[in-house]
Amino acid sequence: MKKLLAILLAALMLLSVVGCAEKKDPTEANAPAKPQGKVFNIYAWNEEFKGFFEKYYTVPEGVTVNWIINPSDNGVYQQKLDEALKGQANAKDDDKIDMFLAEADYIGKYVDSAYTMDVTSFGFKNASTMYDYTIKAASDSKGVCKGVSFQCCPAAVIYRKSIAKDVLGTDDPAEVQAAMDSWEKFDALAAKAKEKGYYMTASFAETFRAFSNNCTKPWVDANNNLQFDPQITAWMDQTENYIKNGYTLTAGVWDTEKTNQMFKDGKTMCFFGPAWYYNFCMNNAMDAEKGCVGDWRIVKGPQAYFWGGTWLLAATGSDNTEMLKDIFETFTVNEDVCTKLVQNENQYPNNTKIVEKFAKDSSYGNTAILDGQNDIAVFAELAKDIKWENHTNYDQLLNEGLQNKLQEFYNGSVSKDVAMKNFYNYVKEVYANINVPQN
Amino acid sequence: MERKIRRKDGSLRSVSYAKWGYIFIVPFFLAYLIFTLVPQFLTVYNSFFENYQDGLNQVGPNYVGLDNYKTLFTPDSAGTVRIVKYVANTMIMWFAGAVPQFVIALLLAIFFTSYRLNIKGQGFFKTVIYMPNLIMAAAFSMLFFTLFSRVGPIQALLVKNGWIDASFDFFSHRITVRGMIATMNFLMWFGNTTIVLMAGIMGIDQALFESATLDGANAWQVFFRVTMPLLMPIFVYCLITAMIGGIQMFDVPQVLTKGNGAPDETTRTLVMYLNNYLTNKNYGMAGAISVIIFIVTGALGGVVYKMLVKQYKEPQRQHRRRKGDVL
Amino acid sequence: MRALSDNAKGKIKLTILRVIVYAILAFLVFLCLFFFYLMIINASRSNAQLATGFEILPKEHFIDNLVNAWNDASINIPRGMLNSLIIALATAVLTTYFSALTAYGIHAYDFKGKKFVFTFIMAIMMIPAQVSALGFVQMMNKFNMNNSYIPLILPGMAAPVVFFYMKQYMESVLPLDIVAAARVDGSGEFRTFNTIVLPLLKPAIAVQMIFSFVSSWNNYFIPALLLDKAEMKTVPIMIAQLRSADYSKFDMGKVYMFILLAILPVMLVYIILSKSIIKGVTAGSVKG
Repeated sequence: MKKLLAILLAALMLLSVVGCAEKKDPTEANAPAKPQGKVFNIYAWNEEFKGFFEKYYTVPEGVTVNWIINPSDNGVYQQKLDEALKGQANAKDDDKIDMFLAEADYIGKYVDSAYTMDVTSFGFKNASTMYDYTIKAASDSKGVCKGVSFQCCPAAVIYRKSIAKDVLGTDDPAEVQAAMDSWEKFDALAAKAKEKGYYMTASFAETFRAFSNNCTKPWVDANNNLQFDPQITAWMDQTENYIKNGYTLTAGVWDTEKTNQMFKDGKTMCFFGPAWYYNFCMNNAMDAEKGCVGDWRIVKGPQAYFWGGTWLLAATGSDNTEMLKDIFETFTVNEDVCTKLVQNENQYPNNTKIVEKFAKDSSYGNTAILDGQNDIAVFAELAKDIKWENHTNYDQLLNEGLQNKLQEFYNGSVSKDVAMKNFYNYVKEVYANINVPQN
Repeated sequence: MERKIRRKDGSLRSVSYAKWGYIFIVPFFLAYLIFTLVPQFLTVYNSFFENYQDGLNQVGPNYVGLDNYKTLFTPDSAGTVRIVKYVANTMIMWFAGAVPQFVIALLLAIFFTSYRLNIKGQGFFKTVIYMPNLIMAAAFSMLFFTLFSRVGPIQALLVKNGWIDASFDFFSHRITVRGMIATMNFLMWFGNTTIVLMAGIMGIDQALFESATLDGANAWQVFFRVTMPLLMPIFVYCLITAMIGGIQMFDVPQVLTKGNGAPDETTRTLVMYLNNYLTNKNYGMAGAISVIIFIVTGALGGVVYKMLVKQYKEPQRQHRRRKGDVL
Repeated sequence: MRALSDNAKGKIKLTILRVIVYAILAFLVFLCLFFFYLMIINASRSNAQLATGFEILPKEHFIDNLVNAWNDASINIPRGMLNSLIIALATAVLTTYFSALTAYGIHAYDFKGKKFVFTFIMAIMMIPAQVSALGFVQMMNKFNMNNSYIPLILPGMAAPVVFFYMKQYMESVLPLDIVAAARVDGSGEFRTFNTIVLPLLKPAIAVQMIFSFVSSWNNYFIPALLLDKAEMKTVPIMIAQLRSADYSKFDMGKVYMFILLAILPVMLVYIILSKSIIKGVTAGSVKG
């Protein structure tokens, strides 16, 4: 009992002591070169990169790698990461974040802050083989680069051969592409597929990225007013039409109802995604019992776009800078690793030299899911056009929120006006500083 | 008689042992002070400030008086005051689950304690009805979600039998989503309530039932004139704790609707609303909502307590007196 | 003659009543057990099998799913179970011990302000924990305690509802003469409480221990706001994450196995203790 009381009193005293501690500026933690730490902490929102890291990167002896993984839904990953970054200055060296992963939708928020550090400060140099947009995305407004991307994410239309054959009479990529090289043709094809009893896409938001990553203005203007790009409204119109005509399902991009469409008995012709989509979303297509490996091909589709991408950012205060440099190099300039990422993991690496080699290699073909088609050649063509512009720090939650609220309109539970009203309310809740239309 | 002895005993104690009373309650109050009271004041304090994050930048805290409360009670374009809507959602879903919860719990408690019925296998039943309470709300919601999803087995079954249209979506109708949430709350809590009510009934003097039956009262009369009035304090206790639980409703709708409160935010509860501001670190608004929850809880608890206890105190006393007369 | 037929009528009535009662009970039992059955069956099916709807009999993938779930890299369920166990056990012990101690302090001693203290606790009983969550999380962040067991365990020392139950229980079963007798024997006040009073409260303690163990084991709101380090996460956080889990390895069979594992420990504890728990509740027969 007395002990407990003592502990409680000690806790109280501790509270008052810590309460007086001054806040430190995060940049102060950026200490000059010093002995390397024994613990390497990585924040991530899923396992994707962790898998590659463990396979292709040899951790220096004596170093423990800690993965702190929080899901990205509803912004949980960002919240936890922000909290940790703010405590970075006061954390013990072994508890400090060394590296964290960021997605295209919010990378700017971290790059433009003092919580990430210049890659040149630890001797890393961006290679000429890296795609420009991946460097631009990881650079702050002054052009200082804070990290690298291990992948490049040009995205395409992945279609079912057998369904294309039934609908179009051909499954040849060139002919299929000719039948959907604009949104008008794509819509016409959707009607045709419908007649044959198929869905064009399996999720109301399947085409979202194809539109949203071609926006000509950011989500939020200079005065913090929410604005809708014509591409976003075009997506909304298209989806409304697709739902009305039964060309697509009311499922979300990540819902089981959609992924079940990738089984052999699925009735959906087109899926939209980049190279990471195979491993990440097409598990069902590769299912041993009910999958349909080899019944897939890819084409450019109506509009070139990119989707996602995982950047590795160097956290200010890291005491493992040598390892950071090493990791960055392994996943961008190491040709052996980049080759394996293509061959073994069906990835599209951030190394133009390697991808061009594969694109020209007639003996290369993707058999993990496609029918042996050279998908790298298709992606390489698309990757040339990727531009990094019109992004805001708010993209993730705005894109997510818009889809969630509109889903209720598409599945018939509310009117479009109500869905939009709910979206505005949502924006106001998650970002108090964004002005929404009078509501 | 007894009371006198106790009082004498008590006055003796008060001379030499009073300090032990303080010592024994100190840990409780210390823990309460540190972990609840201080945070509570901090919460109220926060509600008067603009204090949120814009990306990695801290905005505020700036004193804004009652602005956060004004924001909370400003109607949107459709004229809805959202927090009122969420209070209503919470109450409706709680009520829809609590009514069957209490009806069934009362019935079961009476079944189990009835000598006439003499239910066999009581141990088994009592064990089983409490079991849903052991499934964590998050897991339970996930189960419900997979069961009722568009590709779930229930949908397939009902469509096969032609009872619903293939395009039907359990998660796009207010009534079905609320129904699922109420059902889960009912399943999770009716066993708990049954056990506590049963304990209450067993605490009632059996002689009272017997004398009432001898007086010619039928089962209904016994229930309403004897059981209910005597059970009232424990019933009120159950009701209040259930209500506290109801106001805190969070995990089930949060996981079931992925935090959206779909459709049209009709399953969004007060605490889901609070949670959204908390996780997004808008401490000013979160503080204001907390204060509202505090007020709502206090008001509801007070009303229920006053209403039920007052109403039943009278007949209870009368009954005791009558029994005394007979004896 | 008449009395006899009345008796027969009564018997028929009783039989009908019994049938109805058992039917209701059977239905409720079905509802309660259905979900457990479903979980066990589904935990034995592969991802592809799960896409085909209901199944009455278990399939052959139980062990596969168990191995996959147990060894899953991002959702470290063994670690989560250990965390939850430590927190829930410590909370249950602290909550019951200090609630009993506080209740005893008020029950057995007379001191100035006693009435006020009792009324105060009764009043705060109504306040949901969420109301102070904001300040609590802020405080814990400030003291760098967000990835620690302490903020999840120590607040359990002040549990008004458990206190109320203990107080009621003492009123019905704890004669103060025993305490007085112990004093005559020279027993100190703490010793009296620990060695004489506590054993008498055993049934009430058993009940409140399991109730607080379960509610702590299932607690999601506060831990979700505080914890982020993988090695600190509790089971409910892991379960909630399943719905937003990694799609690259999304395997529903594994998901069901996770859920099964998440509730298994509580189930075991409950089934082992259920007899004494139910006895405890009914023996305590809380009098209002």
